[in-house]
Amino acid sequence: MSKEKFYLKGDQLLDISDYNFKSIKNALKLGREKTIQKIKDSELKGRGGAGFPTGIKWEMAANIEAQEKFLVCNGDEGEPGTFKDRYLLEERPLKVLEGIMLAAYAVGADKAYIYIRGEYSKAIDVFSKIIEAAEKEKILNEYLFNSDFKLELKLVRGAGAYVCGDETSLLNSIEGKRGRSRIKPPYPIEKGLYNQPTVVNNVESLCCAAEILNPESEEFSSLGIEGSRGTKLLCLSGDLNKPGLYEVEFGKITLKEIIYELGGGIKTNADLRFVVPGGISTSLIKADSLDFPYSYQEFEERGSSLGSGAVIAVSKKHDLLDLMLNVSRFYMDETCGTCFPCREGNRQINKILKSFKPESNKINAELINDIGNTIRLAARCGLGQSSLNFITSVIQNYGEELRIGGKIYV
Amino acid sequence: MELEKSKFYQDSLLEKLHEIQSTYGYIPEAEIENLAEKYQLPRANVFGVISFYSMFYTEPTGKYIIRICDSISCHLNESDSVLKAVKSYLNLESHQTTADKKFTLEVVECLGHCGEGPVMMVNNQIYTKINENKALEILNDCI
Repeated sequence: MSKEKFYLKGDQLLDISDYNFKSIKNALKLGREKTIQKIKDSELKGRGGAGFPTGIKWEMAANIEAQEKFLVCNGDEGEPGTFKDRYLLEERPLKVLEGIMLAAYAVGADKAYIYIRGEYSKAIDVFSKIIEAAEKEKILNEYLFNSDFKLELKLVRGAGAYVCGDETSLLNSIEGKRGRSRIKPPYPIEKGLYNQPTVVNNVESLCCAAEILNPESEEFSSLGIEGSRGTKLLCLSGDLNKPGLYEVEFGKITLKEIIYELGGGIKTNADLRFVVPGGISTSLIKADSLDFPYSYQEFEERGSSLGSGAVIAVSKKHDLLDLMLNVSRFYMDETCGTCFPCREGNRQINKILKSFKPESNKINAELINDIGNTIRLAARCGLGQSSLNFITSVIQNYGEELRIGGKIYV
Repeated sequence: MELEKSKFYQDSLLEKLHEIQSTYGYIPEAEIENLAEKYQLPRANVFGVISFYSMFYTEPTGKYIIRICDSISCHLNESDSVLKAVKSYLNLESHQTTADKKFTLEVVECLGHCGEGPVMMVNNQIYTKINENKALEILNDCI
């Protein structure tokens, strides 16, 4: 398929003696400032879901004076529909390692953690071996290639908590605490792990950084369109003929092509109802509105987000209420309980949905939307803030079909 | 500052809990006490950490922990019928353990194999594209 790219995706890379660490060598030659400038010029945005510019994060962290700084690689992938970081950790762990080294070097950290969710036993196994091999080969713990940079790296396993994907919850978790989010500010780059400046980057973002600094593939940063540069890993799932992991160039493929060409269309020739474009924390896109290029800005314009890259196709054979209940249960179970509106709000939404009977048409959509807005405004972390996006977007688009009364959320 | 630095070299509490969990199948009371002493934390605090994470248990679990995903991508691929079959076969609800301590059933959220759903995990082993029959076969192999 010509629409597919192979930068992040590719052959399995597990043998450290076959890997030449070109990107980190290049960065060491360029120096910290120019390395950060390259990332800034590449317009790389965080691939974990929030889309914060990576170069700016690194620059801010680099400019902070501190005795100790930490780099944390966030491998706590838990957004339903997402499996790209697992792929990278299992198949391309040396790229991930190189990305961690690059980021740590750029921001001036000599200690790093990689946090991998506990359910990813294979990824944990593979990456533990990579760390061992890197220590043996003196890639870790020693001054690297005659430079003034050395890095120590530790792996911490998560233990089954979606909320630890939020960076401040993740820091608490590494510190051995309950994975509850922290109030921001201070941001992790000021006061993160053990109160020290800390940069938290997603696995895919770090692999992109390694690609940007690769002297042999300089085109990576020029791929895509203004505002959405490089490539994105897509996790296709749901009612598709060819679900799986794909890499695409931003702006050069439409969501429609992603569904019908890469994804091979809808299973059993059923009709597509909608697409959840970035995991269940994003608002749905209706089947008749998919013909637009895949980019950060196009989703933003439609009130949604490309999130983590989890593209879930949902056909007409599913019951909408059942899907809303499924998503609602997820957030009710996974809220960390710190912020009252998220903890109680998600519980109340579940209750409302459970008591809903289409024939009696008794629920007030306004109430659901009010709760949704309250959580959006009052939750500390992004996971809480986005917890009602899917449900409110179902009501907004299909309220009439569901015969939900009251004012529909706009 | 020195104290903060040294924390990097200390075993993370989470890692320690993983070790204990895999040794005993749960975190026994005596170990909670040891950890409280080692990390200079109140016991309640250690317990609080354990109870926050779904992969840690304070009661003995079955020899096989069966995790079945019912998040959206698996749900769209009929994970609920797999769940129903397994529940009735083991005569268990989620978070319960069989009397012979063989199986603990957990209905879990996303296991990160969404393109190959429905997905089931037996201890550390992942099984993808399962259906009712396959799930029961896997359980039978455990016996």
